[in-house]
Amino acid sequence: MAWNRTELANAVQNGDDDEAVKMVKDALAEGVPALEILDEALVPGIQQLGELFKDGEVFLPEVLIACRAMDKGVAELKPYLTAGEMHKKGKVIIGTVEGDLHDIGKNIVRLMLECAGFDVVDLGVDVPATAFVNAVKEHCPDILAMSALLTITMTNMPEVIESLEKAGLRDRVRVMIGGAPITREYADQIGAEGFAEDCASAVQEAERLKAA
Amino acid sequence: MTESLRQRFLDICRFKRTGDLCLLAPWLNDFWMETPDVWVRQGAPAELADPRTIRSYFEFDHIRVLREIQTGLFMDKRLDVLGRNYVYAIPPILPTYETRMLGEDEHTLSLVNEGGQVVRIDKRDPQKMPMYLDHPVKDRATWQEYKKRLDPSTPERFPADLPAYAARMNAKEEPLLLNVGSFFGFLREWMGLEPFLYALHDDPALIEDMMDTLCHLETVCITEALKHMRVDAAMFWEDMAFKTGPLISPKMFRRFMMPRYKVITDLLRSNGVDIIFVDSDGALNQLIPLWMESGINFFWPLECAAGNDAVALRKQYGKDAILGGNIDKRALLKSKDIIREEVMSKVPYLLETGGYFPSVDHFVPPDVPFENYVYLINTLREVAGLPPLKPFSRR
Repeated sequence: MAWNRTELANAVQNGDDDEAVKMVKDALAEGVPALEILDEALVPGIQQLGELFKDGEVFLPEVLIACRAMDKGVAELKPYLTAGEMHKKGKVIIGTVEGDLHDIGKNIVRLMLECAGFDVVDLGVDVPATAFVNAVKEHCPDILAMSALLTITMTNMPEVIESLEKAGLRDRVRVMIGGAPITREYADQIGAEGFAEDCASAVQEAERLKAA
Repeated sequence: MTESLRQRFLDICRFKRTGDLCLLAPWLNDFWMETPDVWVRQGAPAELADPRTIRSYFEFDHIRVLREIQTGLFMDKRLDVLGRNYVYAIPPILPTYETRMLGEDEHTLSLVNEGGQVVRIDKRDPQKMPMYLDHPVKDRATWQEYKKRLDPSTPERFPADLPAYAARMNAKEEPLLLNVGSFFGFLREWMGLEPFLYALHDDPALIEDMMDTLCHLETVCITEALKHMRVDAAMFWEDMAFKTGPLISPKMFRRFMMPRYKVITDLLRSNGVDIIFVDSDGALNQLIPLWMESGINFFWPLECAAGNDAVALRKQYGKDAILGGNIDKRALLKSKDIIREEVMSKVPYLLETGGYFPSVDHFVPPDVPFENYVYLINTLREVAGLPPLKPFSRR
């Protein structure tokens, strides 16, 4: 029986993890290459959901369950894929800046980046500039993504960028910022290359920065 | 004869009184805990550190929140952390959990708070929002235990001498505000946001039971409260949106929240309470029509960073919506010209059309300079034809 890419993509979008896992297993059993299952069904399924999220047609609960279905499907493929095949979009360091403990937006962005094929290192919340710099040194990411939810903590973002400059790392990484008080103007003002209006547009912005 | 504040409030809400600057406090015009202390260090009068003094300093109009009736969430839980207070709010559970220390390191302290949440507090600044590590409700079994604390018949839900309390409240010239709960915010508090959002899909019957439990708690308590005292306005607390929209779909809102809201708003309205307020941060454009359909008609804080526009809302909803807030806190970080421009872009129109209570679009953070906030208040007073605030020493 030929495997059905559209049905598997739909299972992911609908958050039907049992069905997604079953269909992945069936496809593997049919001899479909793991990379094909990933690239032609799972990833398009989550990408399409990302578009629906951006357009305001689906909301956080739908995103969470779709990402869960994607994760479970990918878990079945892991033994058959190399690390490069799993994370071919690139590597992202993400964290909420020092003094700020808000994490829901950052967590959703992480989830969506991972589902989109990025390798994400999550530094958590209340991350000082030194920790961001050390993470960039250690992991050599393509993108550093920072989140801040408060006017009194967003001011720590320029400090991180300055710290990267002092460490000689600034030109090795693209910086992307987001959060409730953050604007594109602010991103331009502090020298961040990227700005995500919301978690729905973060994947697209990360892809743009990686391609630039 | 001067109208009472209560009558001014009612008349503004009912669009019978326009041009009146009514700066309601607490809640609408309020501050982060550390803001007054920061201002005193900037040279503001030392008395501002007292919440009651700060309200009279800025000549706010006091709305009396009926916090002695345990139906809502109030910032009234305190824990001393090395001489400074960790102040927080929890759903109206009775009894509350016993506070228990779990551990500490150089900078942080982990504990179970009165809401049963496991939190990590920064010892250097306990007033900063803590990190939530765990929540008391995880599944049906833990819910069955937790819901015992939401019993409306628990005696401590009301003041011990309810008739005497009611008599005192009824005699006040201020509007009385009854907190009537929450159908999103409380669930988030006791489950954690992500588990709650998953449960909407994975176990909707559990979510329905939680909301029905809250609905029962509130309706029994509202009915009892209304037997004894006048209630001028009611309030829900939700915080169910982020920068670009709601956390859940309109479909989920209609399925889970709207039927329960309607039970409460129908009860309130049938008892003459037609001013029903919701506090939710974030972008509210998609939620406002749903709340209105649910019987709620007053919206705050209308955060500007989330794209809320009180002028556009007034034009869209006319007298069907009472509005509060929408003065951009980010403008207060800039120059006086920008503050003035912000005020003049919306407040004259909103005061003239009525049904508007000005405030910053959330609690005033400590990075707003004192002189900028004073300038804001004086600009608002100017719009309303009032003289500027007198220096404190001359009052």
